[in-house]
Amino acid sequence: MKTFSGDALTRQKWLPIAIANAVFSVLLAFASPAFLSLANFQSMLVQSAVTAIMAVGMTFIIITAGIDISMGAILFFSSALFAQLMIDTQSYLLAFAAALCCATLLGGINGLLVVRFRMSPLITTLATYSIYRGMAIHMTGAQNIPVPREMGFLGNGRVFGVPVPILILLVIVVAGVYVLNHTRLGVYARAMGSSTRSARESNLPTAPVTIMVYAIGGFVTGVAALILLARVGGLQSGIGIGIEFTVIAAVILGGTKLTGGSGTVIGSVFGAFFLVLIENGLNLMNASPYIYDIVRGTVLLAAVMVDRLSVRRQQKALLAVKAARFDQPQSVGSTT
Amino acid sequence: MKRFLTLILVLTLGHVSLATAQDSITLGLSVDQLFESRVGVNNAIKAEAEKRGYALIEVVADGDAQTQNQQIQSLITQGVDAILVCAVDQNTIERALMAAQRAGIPVVAYDRDLPASRVVAAFVGPDSLSDGREAGAYTAEQLKAVEGEKVIVELIGALNDQNGIDRSKGFREELASLDNVKLIEVPTDWDSARALSGTQNAFQANARVHAVYAATDTHVPAVETVLADLGLLKKVGEDGHVVVTGVNGSNDGYQAVANGTADGIVVMDLDATGQTAVELASRLLNGDAVDRVNVISGNFYTTDNIESNKDTIWGAR
Repeated sequence: MKTFSGDALTRQKWLPIAIANAVFSVLLAFASPAFLSLANFQSMLVQSAVTAIMAVGMTFIIITAGIDISMGAILFFSSALFAQLMIDTQSYLLAFAAALCCATLLGGINGLLVVRFRMSPLITTLATYSIYRGMAIHMTGAQNIPVPREMGFLGNGRVFGVPVPILILLVIVVAGVYVLNHTRLGVYARAMGSSTRSARESNLPTAPVTIMVYAIGGFVTGVAALILLARVGGLQSGIGIGIEFTVIAAVILGGTKLTGGSGTVIGSVFGAFFLVLIENGLNLMNASPYIYDIVRGTVLLAAVMVDRLSVRRQQKALLAVKAARFDQPQSVGSTT
Repeated sequence: MKRFLTLILVLTLGHVSLATAQDSITLGLSVDQLFESRVGVNNAIKAEAEKRGYALIEVVADGDAQTQNQQIQSLITQGVDAILVCAVDQNTIERALMAAQRAGIPVVAYDRDLPASRVVAAFVGPDSLSDGREAGAYTAEQLKAVEGEKVIVELIGALNDQNGIDRSKGFREELASLDNVKLIEVPTDWDSARALSGTQNAFQANARVHAVYAATDTHVPAVETVLADLGLLKKVGEDGHVVVTGVNGSNDGYQAVANGTADGIVVMDLDATGQTAVELASRLLNGDAVDRVNVISGNFYTTDNIESNKDTIWGAR
């Protein structure tokens, strides 16, 4: 009989990272008195908003056994389009709509390429990363473009005392949880991740689902881009470089399997928060700038190792079940 | 008479040959990656090359050292006369640069020096040490009257970028004149999003921060975001003002100083860097001796004089 904690840890994919967040928070509270303040927690939530929002989209993609390396480039392109349109038209409505539509479209194109040409998602999105980034650089001439001060509301504003990025994150998370757990899209995405072949043989609409999950990834990246743009005060050509790896790290830390089929939106959000927690802890302790990358890499490595161990354990359990069935006497047929 | 005609002929042919050589000079421009200040230097290089009648082939490595290595090999194959390079990584491109040396192609490094290279004939770039000192001296002067601990947040550039390292070193040298300094180092890798979160964390960890120094002033809007969040965005001269300085000369930095929310920025002279790079290549092609290291110091402008110097700030044009 499994213990409660062991069973819960296996079933609730987000629980280990939630516990890791709690443990790390306690350690940091001892290490730095400034850590345990409401302001600091609010600040960390705001900091994690961009990564967490993108992680919601990436969760959908990875659950189908896909991956999107071009997310950082989509973020850069939609930011660039927004900034450029604001200069050219001064219309928030047009700039917002165009940036979000374009981000969704670019994500959808990734999905289309993956299903239409049966290409590896990694290679496909690596190629589109270069294309999207190049398009953005071409559009802006690699220039920094400031955004209007009023746009700062999106990054720094508050509604009923709650920072706007946190509110947007909440909306995206609720929508993500609902779609993943309570709609056919979510069920089909998991089924495809478990076995694309079986999903096809079962006549599941694998092509539309793939396009849809990449489009969702694109859309949330567009939302994240606008928040980031508002927070850093303008477009810079380095924006979004490498962010896809932080997002993937958050998703893996959150318990989503790189092999697909299993994962939770909540886990990914906890994963994103955990990465900010580490950064926050290192900052609060005034750690040497040279150890940041080492710590980040070590945490990610640990998460991947845990993921692999968990996959092995599941495979073993599956084999044990099969063996047990095989060993059972064929009594049912013979007695009737 | 015959000798005279021969002399005329030789001189004429020599002139034609020289003119042809001048006309056919092609420079190879190998760029690490494109961002605002890099584009500024590249534009100055292109303008200077055009003024001199040189052709120019530009290649951009998008931050990939292997790509830059291949691109330099390609420039050699295309028969460029000189190469101007801003390296992604010295070790990776040294082999390609050695191939250039074997082909008799002089190499000029710009913006980022390659001190250990056996090939680079000359370097031109910012005097990052001096630029950092300018910002450090100003900060030290502003904080000398502060009693007790002086908390300073330093937004460090990339840890492997010599310009970032020197800007930090110069800044700290000047802080040595202050006592009781708590320096909070925030690595940013030139990324404003990381600068933003690092600044936010530093302000959470310390009840009072007296100054922020940004290795690039493109981080200043992110610093302003944090200060605005915390209700600390006060103009220079107002009570509770946080001293903000940076290096670069971008529009972000210019706007912040012009508005009075930042104190001052060190402005790099991108035009001079670009022009000197072409000048060095030209002199090397002519066989002239050149200095190995050529640095161009920036100018520090504060709220008092930034508007009057607007025309010299590349980001404000």
